[in-house]
Amino acid sequence: MVDVLSPTTPEQLRDAVGWALGSETPLEIIGSGSKRAFGHAVKTNAVLDCSKLSGILFYEPEELVISAHAGTPLADIKTTLAEKNQQFHFEPGNLPALLNGATGADLGTIGGLVACNVAGPRRIKVGSARDHVLGFEAVSGRGEDFKSGGRVMKNVTGFDLSKLMSGSFGTLGVMHTVTLKVMPCDETSATVIVTCSDPRAAGKAMTLAMRSENEVSAAAWIAPEDASHLDVPLTGEYGSGLVVLRLEGPKPSVAWRAEALCRALDGFGECHEVPEAHSQRIWHVVADVAPFKASANKNSLLWRVSVPPASGGEVCARLMAQTGGRAMMDWAGGLIWLQVSATDAPDAMAGSIRDIAADAGGQADLVRASDEIRETVPVFHAENAALAQINARIKENFDPKGILNPGRLMPGHQSGEGA
Amino acid sequence: MLRMPEPDQNTLARRKDIITAMRDIIPSPGGVIVDDDQLRPYECDGLMAYRQLPMIVVLPENTQQVADILKYCHTNKIRVVPRGAGTGLSGGALPMADAITISMMKFNRVLDIDWDNRAAVVQPGVTNLGITRAVEHEGFYYAPDPSSQIACSIGGNIAENSGGVHCLKYGLTTNNVLGVEMVTIEGEILRIGGKGLDQAGYDLLGIITGSEGLLGIVTEVTVRILRKPETARALLLGFNSSEEGGNCVAAIIAAGIIPGGLEMMDAPAIKATEEFVQAGYPLDVEALLLVELDGPLVEVDYLIERVGKIAKDCGAVYSRISESEEERLLFWSGRKNAFPAIGRISPDYMCMDGTIPRGRLSEVLTGMQNLSKQHGLGVANVFHAGDGNLHPLIMFDANKPGDLEKAEAFGADILKLCVGVGGVLSGEHGIGVEKRDLMGEMFTTDDMKHQERIKMAFDEGQLLNPGKVFPTLHGCGELKTLHAKAVADKFPDIPRF
Repeated sequence: MVDVLSPTTPEQLRDAVGWALGSETPLEIIGSGSKRAFGHAVKTNAVLDCSKLSGILFYEPEELVISAHAGTPLADIKTTLAEKNQQFHFEPGNLPALLNGATGADLGTIGGLVACNVAGPRRIKVGSARDHVLGFEAVSGRGEDFKSGGRVMKNVTGFDLSKLMSGSFGTLGVMHTVTLKVMPCDETSATVIVTCSDPRAAGKAMTLAMRSENEVSAAAWIAPEDASHLDVPLTGEYGSGLVVLRLEGPKPSVAWRAEALCRALDGFGECHEVPEAHSQRIWHVVADVAPFKASANKNSLLWRVSVPPASGGEVCARLMAQTGGRAMMDWAGGLIWLQVSATDAPDAMAGSIRDIAADAGGQADLVRASDEIRETVPVFHAENAALAQINARIKENFDPKGILNPGRLMPGHQSGEGA
Repeated sequence: MLRMPEPDQNTLARRKDIITAMRDIIPSPGGVIVDDDQLRPYECDGLMAYRQLPMIVVLPENTQQVADILKYCHTNKIRVVPRGAGTGLSGGALPMADAITISMMKFNRVLDIDWDNRAAVVQPGVTNLGITRAVEHEGFYYAPDPSSQIACSIGGNIAENSGGVHCLKYGLTTNNVLGVEMVTIEGEILRIGGKGLDQAGYDLLGIITGSEGLLGIVTEVTVRILRKPETARALLLGFNSSEEGGNCVAAIIAAGIIPGGLEMMDAPAIKATEEFVQAGYPLDVEALLLVELDGPLVEVDYLIERVGKIAKDCGAVYSRISESEEERLLFWSGRKNAFPAIGRISPDYMCMDGTIPRGRLSEVLTGMQNLSKQHGLGVANVFHAGDGNLHPLIMFDANKPGDLEKAEAFGADILKLCVGVGGVLSGEHGIGVEKRDLMGEMFTTDDMKHQERIKMAFDEGQLLNPGKVFPTLHGCGELKTLHAKAVADKFPDIPRF
């Protein structure tokens, strides 16, 4: 029997953590639970469900800032921002559909988004969630309230704990309030599409585009077998892979840059420009990693390989050859989504995927796999020993009894016992 | 008055041995500075109100030497003050009588420019502008541009998380750094981040950036470089009140326009700079906005027209658009010389650095005028209007008994005012020693203790840059103890399923 604690106020949250601390009861921390399958399964007898800590506290469009309780549904926040023609610039996609085949409107919570440091295609230009978190309030594993940052863009007052909390997967503290920077939606966008089936050539095309002065805000590659997801009207033969490059800004600027970009990429393949509505659909597909969503890809594992962008094409080709898997590139090659069969030996395959990533100075995380596989294959790329020691000390200092999401980052790892 | 940790007599007594050990590590002539007259240039940084001769200054030349120095200091419990170019405004590099100041200015090489990954790998002593100089021939630049960019080092920028005038659009240092090599107090050489966008484990890069030399010494930096915009044009807009100017800033942003630069000056600042550099600023307005738009020519021409129209609707009584690169630079020359311009009309000035929610500007400016009367000192304001970062310049005369104390009290009141409206103590200059004792205005003891627990994870012995950032650094024993009040022995009265 699993106890589910659902605090409705920050005070109740502190009481819950205080009880867990006093009784040494480890807690699994969840928002809506949409990203529960990301990371190692947390096996506890108590769940701290933060979804009732919900509601937007303030939204000031002219100040470009929104503050909300951590359990506020991301879908609600996106709707609120869209009403003022604003957005999170880091462009979070639909992770629940990617991770566990969810088909509903649940995009997770704002707290979960920060805790997992989500980022979409625009990361190459504007960073990830961590670059947009202005402040937070939380209860640490010591049962104490603490906060950092604030609500203003420019702030160097004290250590930047907002960065630390972003991507910590609820292992250091339970956030109840987060404040983020928002940005206006651009006047228009367009996507330049270049037919290109070879990932190496695609990598070169993306690198060239990023080096140009055309302010490309997103660059991705879709393999031939997945290109139909983009619904692109090609004049030539269907079945080619596609490099997609997004331009955003005022209308005359986008038109001018699209033309310049097509000229620069002449020689890589057939070049098209698609207008705003279609462009937006394309980037939803990329942000959601739609070709690899869970419901359509049973019995597969999904890897997320992060490398220096210019090496992406080469790494992608090697990964595909090594694993026989399907791949897609985002972040101008800096991110490779690799889907492989779940029936192959996952251990051995993890080793070769991580070797290829490490060779290029990158890393690989296992984003989607069964609980059983995640019990034996580490989900997250291991940091080197010196960094692991510092990480372990931080964890111990913030959560000495190991009550917050034990084992989420490392299988079987209980806090306080070192890395 | 500022209190620093008491010098350790035991360390002072061992000074000779320490010098010998340092000379063993750095054999080059001039690598270890021990004479008073040569130590003098290191006695302060950009916060010149506080001075202290360091025990010794060392200038290591490579990462291994830094590791050896720190390992020695760790073993022998000797305090260390890291130093870059010494341009910091909050006293982050203020020496201590019993500490070794480690100057990183011999780390001055650009190591690698990776155009395809749009990254530059440099040593920490390279100046901020030096990075742009190294990449501009290919049409690239490094975006954060603190006003000291000609002199300040990128290592110092990382320590302070430096900003500049383009932060709203391009972010601070923390958003533009991809990786570092850093040496811990134990002499361990860490590599964090790199040319890729992710790092394994917790976001240590994010924590190190802005940690003011309390966590380690950075020995190599990888930064993102950007393509230089094709063009930039600026508008000067005058208003009859700072409130109207503030409303115009809000209207520009509400229209979805994010200018590259968005600066504001009040009447005293306009007058002082105009007398100093003759940038052609109007003298009959209460607030002057400088709006810069950058990007492709066609975009800039289009947006400048839109901003001009928005300004008119907001009641601008003065409007001028730069018609040439020379004119654009002339517009900026006033703003960029605002500090020396104040220095010209007042024997001394103190620059504050709070950030506020933009919408509270006129309220804060009014409050500041009241404080000005109360403290009997003048103040001029320059304001990074896009991101809410205020630089009030308090005018005083250090030779007049009591004036410095009055200026410090005035400054503290201004920062309290900023925090009171939802702002913060420092937008880009850092806490250092200058604002250290005001940390409690923004943070509870528990807030600060959680920050100190990061310090404890890197430097348990508190040897790196003592006396900076935190009003009191709690001991590890206290930081590790669980508080009884936080631990509940009964099940909480909250909804459960």
